[in-house]
Amino acid sequence: MANTADPTLNPVSAPPAAPESASKKTNAQMEQSQSQPQPQGQKAPKPAKPAKQQQPAKDKNAAAAAAASADGAGSDKLSPAELKKKAKAEKAARRARERADREQTGAGGGGAAASGQGPGTPAGKKGPDAGAAAAASGKGQKGIPRRGSAQTVPQNGAAEAKKKQEDKKVAVFGHLYGQQRRTTVAGAGKEVHPAVLALGLQMRDYVVCGSSARCVATLLAFKRVIEAYTTPMGTSLSRHLTTHLSHQITYLSTCRPLSISQGNAIRALKLAISSIDPSVPEAQAKSTLCEFIDTFISEKITVADQVIAGSAAQKIKDGDVVVTFAGSSIVKQTLLTAFKQGKKFRVSIIDSRPLFEGKNLARTLANAGLEVQYSLINGISHAIKDATKVFLGAHAMTSNGRLYSRVGTALVAMSAKERAGGVEIPVIVCCETVKFTDRVALDSIVVNEIADADELVVTEAPHQLTDLPDPAAAAQPEPKKGGKTAASNPSPAESNTASKKDGSPLTDWRDTPNLQLLNIMYDVTPAEYVDMVVTEMGSLPPSAVPIVHRMSTNL
Amino acid sequence: MATADPRTSKASEPFDIVATYNDLLRSDPDLTMPIAAIEALVLLLTHSPSSTISETLDLLEKSTAHLKKSIPNPIGLSAGTDLFQRYLITTLQRPGQLGPAGDFNAIRAHLLSNSRLFIRRAKESRDKIAAFGRGFVRDGSTVLTNGGSRVVASLLQQAADEKGGPSAVRFNVIYVLSSPKGDIESPTAEPEGMETVRALRAKGVPVATIPESAVAYSLGKADVVIVGAEGVVENGGIVSRMGTYQIGLLAKAMGKPFYVVAESHKFVRVYPLGQYDLPIEQHVIDFKTQEEVDTAKQQQSNSANSPGTTQGLNSEFHPDAVDFTPPHLISALITDSGVLTPSAVSEELIKIWF
Repeated sequence: MANTADPTLNPVSAPPAAPESASKKTNAQMEQSQSQPQPQGQKAPKPAKPAKQQQPAKDKNAAAAAAASADGAGSDKLSPAELKKKAKAEKAARRARERADREQTGAGGGGAAASGQGPGTPAGKKGPDAGAAAAASGKGQKGIPRRGSAQTVPQNGAAEAKKKQEDKKVAVFGHLYGQQRRTTVAGAGKEVHPAVLALGLQMRDYVVCGSSARCVATLLAFKRVIEAYTTPMGTSLSRHLTTHLSHQITYLSTCRPLSISQGNAIRALKLAISSIDPSVPEAQAKSTLCEFIDTFISEKITVADQVIAGSAAQKIKDGDVVVTFAGSSIVKQTLLTAFKQGKKFRVSIIDSRPLFEGKNLARTLANAGLEVQYSLINGISHAIKDATKVFLGAHAMTSNGRLYSRVGTALVAMSAKERAGGVEIPVIVCCETVKFTDRVALDSIVVNEIADADELVVTEAPHQLTDLPDPAAAAQPEPKKGGKTAASNPSPAESNTASKKDGSPLTDWRDTPNLQLLNIMYDVTPAEYVDMVVTEMGSLPPSAVPIVHRMSTNL
Repeated sequence: MATADPRTSKASEPFDIVATYNDLLRSDPDLTMPIAAIEALVLLLTHSPSSTISETLDLLEKSTAHLKKSIPNPIGLSAGTDLFQRYLITTLQRPGQLGPAGDFNAIRAHLLSNSRLFIRRAKESRDKIAAFGRGFVRDGSTVLTNGGSRVVASLLQQAADEKGGPSAVRFNVIYVLSSPKGDIESPTAEPEGMETVRALRAKGVPVATIPESAVAYSLGKADVVIVGAEGVVENGGIVSRMGTYQIGLLAKAMGKPFYVVAESHKFVRVYPLGQYDLPIEQHVIDFKTQEEVDTAKQQQSNSANSPGTTQGLNSEFHPDAVDFTPPHLISALITDSGVLTPSAVSEELIKIWF
């Protein structure tokens, strides 16, 4: 199962990760290979019996899967189709469980009916613990409710608790809830370099945010890793450094899933490492690698950005109203370049919760002297009314020419194209070729990233004039500014404290039944809504993305 | 080699690239703009005995820029000059005898001979296109076309030709003729494309000529639209004579296939986002009040005795004006490298450039 040859990274592949995720993955594989939904109640920390019984089946399936995947990537990388299948299986399993619960609480007749559905499977003959063995036998899809109902008897309480927890995952995106993002550096492997440890947390907190920034920061951190690296006895640098880097990468991916650009950069770095001649002395090899990283950053990102900004700025004409979404660094550079060329245009920045990336962009552009209008995505139809061009940044461009970018981008692009006036507004994407991927995205469900839903809850309450004073202010600094307000109404403030302290009505969303929060990070803009992709290799229609990607990776 | 320097400057001074280009275009009616540009550049290279690579490239760049500046619509032309420059650079960068290490005189001779070969091939490409495009004209079909494109003419003629293939195709042609009345210089001139109309009629092809205003009316009777192009741009759209865009829109609205016939040396590295994003200045839409019209007339009558200044001053319509047909209106491009979808154009261009 462990395959060192695979250059791609996958957050789930972490070998020292929690046993839960490992078993979950194997479970998923089993479900794929047998197309048999598995009750989810069985998969995590469980009573010993079913888990033990599953063990041989698990091993067998794992072996089969490993053998089946000729390219060696089978267990590590789930293709979108597989992911979808997995999601479907999970959904089916959950439904089955719920039905089982209902049956259990209701009459026994339902259970009998369910058992009757089993095609060819003598479900009735099986004992309560024969259910787990059915997983290995790989038959009887409809036998699951029966099995589930038999098993829920001892684990009723546990299942109940689990259900409550899992309901907070939005069903369609169920496959995207991997591990929780790491919150501390505790538990990180001892191999992880301090620079990487810090970077991981910075990425987690969006201090380092944006596809290019994350890519550059990762490469710089890896440069420090390589500088601090010494080859252990008995191995060669080209072999051992790759695994050493893998630990760093695994750690980073537990902080936040890696971006496409990070993946591409890491792949290039690993290729450079593995192509180092083992006879080259270590110091020289290390300096070669550091040089490689520097060239990569300047060639693929720094200089590329300048080229893109230059050619994209040519498209800005006097009198333009440029709409942009969120805070792309390359769009910022483009607008500043055009402004420096003396073009007279207006910028309308559209931003969204919860990251508010456009705020920084607005400030930078305004400070530089541009005319800036800032609005949230709710006001898109208004902002697009007088627009003449749309400039967008990218997280990635997929091989079918679709733009994978911050959630909301698709809305902006589509609004620009389908504007009521009938006159189309060109949508221009600025994107380095390092962000191109050979993956294909048909929707934003299969591949995406889910951030912590709590980010949606927290809002800074605006200062309200009509409302009661802030309880914190009212409680503490009485002598400071309390004067009239505190004297006028101390008791209502007291009574309102509970709701005020929470700040948002959503604060206890986890305990609120029937309430799910979804904080999705990206969306996919269809290729028809993109007129032009400006890259460092020239301007392309979105349909040329795979060709350029092939060329830039072959070079 | 340094001794050649004074001679170089003397020899290259009298050579006028713009005049050469215009002469070439005038002398050979079959010549397209990019090929004329390349031919002019080759002539320039033969006339100026440059001795180093950088000198050659520098000379080339300067004359290209000069040529582009002095021609009102350099889109088609720039396809040729860019291609030639690109070809030169790749040849010079190639290692071996003809690379930077080799003898420069040999390199130059090689370049010139290859350039001539290139020009000859480009001229032949029209026949190749006609062979590819023949299949798009079916028996009993009606083709709607416009303008004075020589490639379209050769395609249609070859389709009608008995000798061209197994048997002649029997088809009708609706020819959209632009009214030449806006042309002040020669109000009696016959519209562009009349020559093709005559040639087709001589071959026994029934041809109907309609004005541009009757396109929507007549399109219902047409099965397929075939047009030429001045330049094929990076996103697969075309820059073509004024009026092509509206035919494209109408064809799309009526669900008729819209084919573009163009040689692959007309592919340009330009990426227009719309009609008004073309890298040329054309004053098609010219708002005037009565007052301005009167002053313009006065000026015209004042300067009437001095010939040459009258042209184009009051013209309502520019015969050389072009518009941009976006790729989503185009069904396919029939080129000498095969029948391409619009999205394949960028692939071809990238192949040339990288």
